[in-house]
Amino acid sequence: MADRIFAAVLLAVTIGYAVIAFTVIRAPFQYDPLGPESWPRILSIVAILCLLYILWKPDAIGFDMTRQVWFRLGAAVVLLLAYSDLYEPLGFILSTILFGTIMALMLGAPRLRAVGFGIAAGVFGWLLCVTLMDLNLPEGALYEAVVDSFQQTEEEGAS
Amino acid sequence: MDAVLSGLATGFSVALDPFNLMLVLVGCFVGTLIGALPGLGPINGVAILLPIAYGLGFQPEAALILLAGIYYGAEYGGRISSILLNVPGDAGAVMTTLDGNPLARAGQAGRALSLSAVASFVGGTFAVILMSLFAPALAGFAVTFGPADYVALMVFAFASLASLVGKSTVKTLLGATIGLMLATIGIDANTGVPRYTFGIPDILAGIDFLIVVVGLFGMAELLTLVEQQARGTLKSLPVDRSFVTMADLAKSKWTIARSSVIGFFIGILPGTGASVASAVAYGTEKRISDTEGTFGKGDVRGLAAPEAANNAAAGGSMVPMLTLGIPGSGTTAILLGALLMFNIQPGPTMFTQRPEVAWGLVASMYIGNVALLVINLPLVGLFARMLTIPQHYLTPLIAVLAFIGIYTIVGNPHDLFMITMLGVFGWFLRKLDFSLAPIILGFVLGGLFEDNLRRALSISGGDWSILVSNWKSILLYVLALFVVVLPIWLARRARGNAMQDAESH
Repeated sequence: MADRIFAAVLLAVTIGYAVIAFTVIRAPFQYDPLGPESWPRILSIVAILCLLYILWKPDAIGFDMTRQVWFRLGAAVVLLLAYSDLYEPLGFILSTILFGTIMALMLGAPRLRAVGFGIAAGVFGWLLCVTLMDLNLPEGALYEAVVDSFQQTEEEGAS
Repeated sequence: MDAVLSGLATGFSVALDPFNLMLVLVGCFVGTLIGALPGLGPINGVAILLPIAYGLGFQPEAALILLAGIYYGAEYGGRISSILLNVPGDAGAVMTTLDGNPLARAGQAGRALSLSAVASFVGGTFAVILMSLFAPALAGFAVTFGPADYVALMVFAFASLASLVGKSTVKTLLGATIGLMLATIGIDANTGVPRYTFGIPDILAGIDFLIVVVGLFGMAELLTLVEQQARGTLKSLPVDRSFVTMADLAKSKWTIARSSVIGFFIGILPGTGASVASAVAYGTEKRISDTEGTFGKGDVRGLAAPEAANNAAAGGSMVPMLTLGIPGSGTTAILLGALLMFNIQPGPTMFTQRPEVAWGLVASMYIGNVALLVINLPLVGLFARMLTIPQHYLTPLIAVLAFIGIYTIVGNPHDLFMITMLGVFGWFLRKLDFSLAPIILGFVLGGLFEDNLRRALSISGGDWSILVSNWKSILLYVLALFVVVLPIWLARRARGNAMQDAESH
């Protein structure tokens, strides 16, 4: 059943892909026998044939997961999305501390150790990647604001 | 022969450079750590660390040496979790659990680990030697390939992929097609027409290879770990002081030799990597040597066979990647993508145009093999301790690494969403028994496949018969057909025999 639903969704996407390939994509002028539309057309036909076969003869795969597992997976995805959303505003260190701590807690780590892990991941990650390996990671709006205000007070003091 | 020796000399002068030598060692060490972690196989390890390696701003040969070391090391380390936990790190290590884990349960974990390290070393070294002999010759031959032959080669690659990888042929084919379709997104290089960009400027140049790789492999792996973690915990067996004996080696020496040959040649087949090689080697060895029915109960030969084969296959799968530009496995597809990011087109001309990269990589594999054996024999206890790192720390760490890598390269928080969503997609695919390697293979080869098809038809002025106009392409199509039909025929015959047996009894 899961197989059929997934194949049906993919089929809808593929038909959209095919419609674009057969109607929209067109080169204004070309000398080659195959234009930019030919290859997507071939691919969409192959994909549709495969999908029809899966719809016709799906494998019997059940998602035999308890509601609890679904809940954890959903929570993990939400956490990841929140992490990507806060990555730049909070900066690497703060967002990693938050994400590492909450994720570890959710997966069953003891409370204090989870906090320790989060702080270690944030601080050591920053030291290792930025200080040692010179990679580019976000400092965070908060940090920048603090630095800016310092510079402003310095400028005011100087003037 | 002269070309091989002078090439190797070039290669070793690159690989023995102190900095590169350090990278080989670091790569092997990190790779073994990653391989030893349960659930994290070579392909995920390379996928997660690729953006970081790219972001460090090394020379192409240095970055490639580092990545190959990680790949190699992970192939080595996979056996540790197979033997001690009975949980294979990836598909290539499944066969190792069959005889490795019973040995460890019988209190001979040390013996099993050291024997498998020796078998891996022999398999790996054998593959590198054959590779340095074959690769230049094959590259020399491949220079004569025209666009039509490349199309045939690609069809052969996907045919062998579809028939040998994954549970369902149709799903593997569909996976490869999804990869090829993803590769069509962006501006068409020949005509400048945008395809499937929907006016979004971020994807005019196509979907970033790194995002697809990290999303489909790294993040999907993370979600799988979350799912499994909620289902129960793992128990590791202790490492004891037992060690491999001369008698074990004498007993398994022919096994190792046979399996190395099998592994190397299966590794060369485009699309098939360590998992197929170790399964075939184990099956063959079981048929030849299992006279007392000890396989599966802790026979040293049953442990040596898949380990020699999967390391030989790791070397073998480098051959088509370096000489033809067609990767032999999912992981080499990622390495190929890495080369493309450095603007190096892998293929027959790489050995002559970028000898420092091609030969440097080969030489680093010689060094890596020795290094792995030296690292692995004394330090196996340390790696084994990695197994006891609780999953609840490991899982968030994967996300942190993946985010660092992607942000460093692309510097755009929008891409962090992309990898998360691709991870969800990849997790669904895995749940539904799709294997992910064909997708990445299709994605990496998509541009090459289309270009060659269009070029071939331009040469012939639109006449499709050019695709079958010379013996090289015809031979490849025949081989492709053979690869698809043979397993079906064998399965039918096996079923027929079983039916006959059932009737006669």
